[in-house]
Amino acid sequence: MFRSLVVAVVLALGMTAAAQSVSIQLDGTLFKVVGPPSGTLTVYAGTGDVPPLAGKTAIENGALVFRPTFPLAPGVRYRAVFTPKGGAAVEKTFDGPARRTTPTARVERVYPSADVLPSNQLRLYIYFSASMSQGEAEQRIHVLDAGGKVLRGVFLPGQELWDPNNRRLTMTFDPGRIKRDLTSNRTMGPPIADSKRYTIVIDREWRDANGVPMVEAFRKVFRGGPAVRHAPDPKTWRVVAPPAGSRDALVIHFGRPMNYTLLQRMLKVSGARGDVAGTIGVTREESEWRLTPLGPWTAGNYRIVIDASLEDLAGNKIGQPFDIDVFDKVTERITTTTVSLPFEIR
Amino acid sequence: MHYRKLMTRAALAGGFAIALVLTVHAARTPAVAAGDLAGGSAGLKSAGALAFGPDGVLFVGDSAGGAIAAIDTADRTPAGSAANINVQGIDEKIAALVGVMPGDILLNDVAVNPISKNVYVSAARGRGPDAAPLVVRVDASGKLTLLALDNIKHETVSLSDAPVANPTARQNPRTQTITDMAFVNGNVMVAGMSNEEWSSALRSIPYPFKAAAKGTQLQIWHASHGRYETQSPVRTFVPYTIDGQQYVLAAYTCTPLVKIPVSDLKAGAQVKGVTISDLGSGNQPLDMVPYKKDGHEFILIANSSFGVVKLHADNLGQYKPIDSPTVVDVAGAPYDKITAVTNVRHLTQFDASRALVLTSAGGGGFGPATGPFNLQTVALP
Repeated sequence: MFRSLVVAVVLALGMTAAAQSVSIQLDGTLFKVVGPPSGTLTVYAGTGDVPPLAGKTAIENGALVFRPTFPLAPGVRYRAVFTPKGGAAVEKTFDGPARRTTPTARVERVYPSADVLPSNQLRLYIYFSASMSQGEAEQRIHVLDAGGKVLRGVFLPGQELWDPNNRRLTMTFDPGRIKRDLTSNRTMGPPIADSKRYTIVIDREWRDANGVPMVEAFRKVFRGGPAVRHAPDPKTWRVVAPPAGSRDALVIHFGRPMNYTLLQRMLKVSGARGDVAGTIGVTREESEWRLTPLGPWTAGNYRIVIDASLEDLAGNKIGQPFDIDVFDKVTERITTTTVSLPFEIR
Repeated sequence: MHYRKLMTRAALAGGFAIALVLTVHAARTPAVAAGDLAGGSAGLKSAGALAFGPDGVLFVGDSAGGAIAAIDTADRTPAGSAANINVQGIDEKIAALVGVMPGDILLNDVAVNPISKNVYVSAARGRGPDAAPLVVRVDASGKLTLLALDNIKHETVSLSDAPVANPTARQNPRTQTITDMAFVNGNVMVAGMSNEEWSSALRSIPYPFKAAAKGTQLQIWHASHGRYETQSPVRTFVPYTIDGQQYVLAAYTCTPLVKIPVSDLKAGAQVKGVTISDLGSGNQPLDMVPYKKDGHEFILIANSSFGVVKLHADNLGQYKPIDSPTVVDVAGAPYDKITAVTNVRHLTQFDASRALVLTSAGGGGFGPATGPFNLQTVALP
């Protein structure tokens, strides 16, 4: 976009003989003095007591030029000042490129997708259709109670955890309120109360990475459910093995919703020929994981390899509850990093 | 002077257990001279947490890039009688320097070069994924200098031992946000928080990096809030000496302030820390500055919703580690509220008698980051 901004604004200057032969142009991102190069060229991108714009001046093809360190930005007015030797300073202002104004971004989905969340729900993952601006979550995400009142202190403050594209935001429910017997838990209770109704509201005013608000606001209504305090146990999972020769999906029923983002990478299927390549699907409100193989299944013994860091909605890991009752021998817990679940293809 | 007991609640009698889960640890070598660093682009994708090391070396946390860069500031001229810093509208000045509107500057951290007393500010030019990382030096006269991160002597260590991402995804969506850093006993200590799994990595990386692999990674456990324990990511921490022993004072995302003995952070060891204080529910310590004044020890703490407090730290050595999860009634360290300093977003030590604060017209803590932002030294209370 910046390169399309090829402006050749020529300033018809002044009263003095020296100034009459001088003009300042903006060519792409290059500020250029057309005329005698003897003098200084300084560009400002702000008003008041501010430093000049960072960049380098040089003589190029006999002309004094200034190359900003960074591209020109929308909404900024640039003031170029040329001070010829022994002459009066002349200046010219240029506007940066036009801002985009057409909204394109929206909230595509939110995980967990269920409409009942445990009262010790740990994290919320928000998927946007476009890259978003950082630093706005505090203002733009609200949790309302059943009466529409905005609740305070629901999320861990000051923690916007983005993916590298700024399209997925991870919010953490205040762990101090979730962890039993902490001060926050005792005085404020958990962020979500069992059987109460809530609405998550994400404002339309949240700006995308180009500074444009979203197409529309987003709302998700959910109800608090009982806290989930016990660790997921793969031995209780139900594995539906497809028949040999088919390309049907292998299906794992967890018996409870699991963490959507971790299901993308913490389960794999290994057989005699190595890991089974395929497409991962997460269905039934994250309580079901499917692997559709690229090729047909061959008969034999397989195992599902589970990263022990896989979590359910409440942050309970495999064999390790989120908050462990210390009377339950907790010191032996970090022993293995994977757990295997065998099955057979016939 | 208003004293107040921070905690008398049984819930804060907690100890903290630390289990080492990764032991890629190299022998420490003497700190390298900054002149040994190689020139070129530092390769930063973001500039977040800052911490000064030896010889004018500045550690820059790059959460987006999953790395720590040690950059040579070439700023080794000792300050004389350092003047006060007072830069009004630092966000507007940085915005003008890099050519954007002030609202498109995100200020991330501040650090003071202990040699020159120049201030370094990390920031982002823009709010999207392509935002350019910035490190700006501010001298006592208020002059701003943009560090040329594309051509600077530096050394980098990658933190990307993250689990393998979904191979079908085009880009690994997992990131490890660096929440704080400090240089302690020749090691860069790094606290982080993942955007996927709930983890509590506290990493210790010997400097210089080339001899260090990825350092030692610790897993932090919050060992007894009542009778439960959980993994507890660190939000902010600061090195501190108590009775001649080196500790890390750490504040967790969910818990009170604790002390962790650095000497015990060895491979294979389990370490018990001890709770010092809790500044109330719904509150998060942002930054801490330990200092001495009039023969007494204090810790100045900027909080997300509790303002600035001065913790009386003379007796921290008397707090004994709690080896069992038994609930014990413990009094927390007393503190004073410091009402003269408000709207603090960042706090760091300037010298023995002054702190440096970054304040926002939009309020302190994690409120809307509305400018103007001001950078100024304040006398340690």
